[in-house]
Amino acid sequence: MHIPDNYLSPTTCAVMGAAMVPAWTISIKKVKEELPKAKIPLLGVGAAFSFLLMMFNVPLPGGTTGHAVGGTLLAILLGPFAACISVTVALFIQALLFGDGGIVAFGANCFNMAFVLPFLGYYIYKLIKDNVRSAKGEYLGIVLGSYIGINVAALCAAIEFGVQPLLFADSAGLPLYCPYSLGVSIPAMTIPHLLVAGIVEALFTVAIIAYVKKVSPGTIYEGAKQKTKAIYGLLAALICLTPLGLLATGTAWGEWGTDEIHEVVSGEKALGYLPKGMKEGFSFEAIMPDYAVNGLSDIAGYILSAIAGVAILVILFKVISTFKKDKVGN
Amino acid sequence: MKQLDIPEWLTDNDNYIPKADKDTFINKSILSVFKVISRIKMQDFSQSQSFVHVSLKVFFTFVLLLLLSITRSFVFVIIVNVYLLSVLSLINAESLVKILKMSLGVTLFTAIIMLPAILWGNYYSCVMITSKIFATVTSIGILSHTTRWNDITSALRRFRIPGIFILILDITIKYMYLLGNLTLNMLYALKLRSVGKNKNKYTSMAGIAGSIFLQSKEMAEDMYHAMECRGFTGEYPIYNKSKFKWVDYLYIIMNIGFIILFFYFAKI
Repeated sequence: MHIPDNYLSPTTCAVMGAAMVPAWTISIKKVKEELPKAKIPLLGVGAAFSFLLMMFNVPLPGGTTGHAVGGTLLAILLGPFAACISVTVALFIQALLFGDGGIVAFGANCFNMAFVLPFLGYYIYKLIKDNVRSAKGEYLGIVLGSYIGINVAALCAAIEFGVQPLLFADSAGLPLYCPYSLGVSIPAMTIPHLLVAGIVEALFTVAIIAYVKKVSPGTIYEGAKQKTKAIYGLLAALICLTPLGLLATGTAWGEWGTDEIHEVVSGEKALGYLPKGMKEGFSFEAIMPDYAVNGLSDIAGYILSAIAGVAILVILFKVISTFKKDKVGN
Repeated sequence: MKQLDIPEWLTDNDNYIPKADKDTFINKSILSVFKVISRIKMQDFSQSQSFVHVSLKVFFTFVLLLLLSITRSFVFVIIVNVYLLSVLSLINAESLVKILKMSLGVTLFTAIIMLPAILWGNYYSCVMITSKIFATVTSIGILSHTTRWNDITSALRRFRIPGIFILILDITIKYMYLLGNLTLNMLYALKLRSVGKNKNKYTSMAGIAGSIFLQSKEMAEDMYHAMECRGFTGEYPIYNKSKFKWVDYLYIIMNIGFIILFFYFAKI
């Protein structure tokens, strides 16, 4: 999921970086409040731990191996704010010293893996854990938190890739950065994560937390109670985001008539389209047939994954609601 | 005199052949942890002084990455690639191979990813992105392989990055080494003790990661106490007041040349 440089436009990277600034500031503040003692070394050692966690290869069916990201795991062990900083530092070292992930794209990578992943994973875990007061409920929280966390992070990366050809094209209408639209990037990113990486992540997270709980209970981070409500907002925002993505692909590849292209484009000049190429519209027509052939399957693929995403969220809510009933019954 | 009998079971020939078990994932984990450790360990043996001032190197590498990312001129990308290749040719063979391995690997991966787009007719931009990727990964490789990492972190201080962040960065690199060694030893132990079929190997993997977490928490606390005992107050000043040499001015001029080239090609 490490996005290298030049796949995303510098403007996208700048926007993502700017979005991370408040996340980092709040995280540092929170960590300082929550961990007055031993705060600084813990962050460094935590970052080293999260770096090493990515070195652990887990066997996958079919004889291959994969590695976990461990964002949710760190968030559960250290707290989401410390996890945010630790993963950021680990990503920074990977980018600068190991050449894994881009420097310009650092903000985008941090947004996906140091912000979305640990926070979403942690709050899903916390929500389920607080509502279901049993060991089973807690493990369900860990599984769902880590599984959904990594998949939504992958979805974010896919959206960042997918909007590139919509927003940044050269005068000939050809994409300047990642050439794949949402219809390609979302299935390409999410399907392997849904089927493989997410499962590895969830198994790994559960196994380690089970071990730590058995060997040394009490070392696991205890967050404040009232914060769990944030998850509702987060989930609601995500649900809103999903159809938004659909809308974007719809107007981009499906609903533009050839006569409409001029209007749409002139309104979006600021987004990097050069008007000259748009007036001609020639190269657009040259690509359009290709997309018209592939277009149906592209959009179909996108809708399919969007439906899957919504369905997973609905299932999640239903599962949670059944647990609530159980609690009343007890 | 009573004859000493050798028990029967001792005279039997024992033909124990351990059953084959899959442990590639342990080997792979050992290998990847080992790679990281050896990269950090290499810092001790690398040339003590970087050829150009490290702050300049870090700064202009970032500038170059940004220019590469923004530029739309293929000629500019080619010029930068040629420049990077000529820098590469000056580096000792061992590092050179490592840098090339990394950058060629990433470039190949990009090329494969871009293949379908080429079939769609995006030939130009795909070649562009692939060559840009090669340039960025190579330049990061050159920076990371020709400079000691603690020099890079202290160079970041000059860019007004908060001291606390640099301290965390330093601690991280040191503990990647310490915890990495710990991980390696545990992985070796797991491998040595897994004779024949060992069904618990997968759970042991989680045990190793869990132990490292607990160990790292302990280490962090110990370290904090040690720092406090030595008068650590949270401030992290860096004393590095080296001056520029003539090579550095040459380096600055060369990089300004790149910036000028960038704007020149942007206008065409």
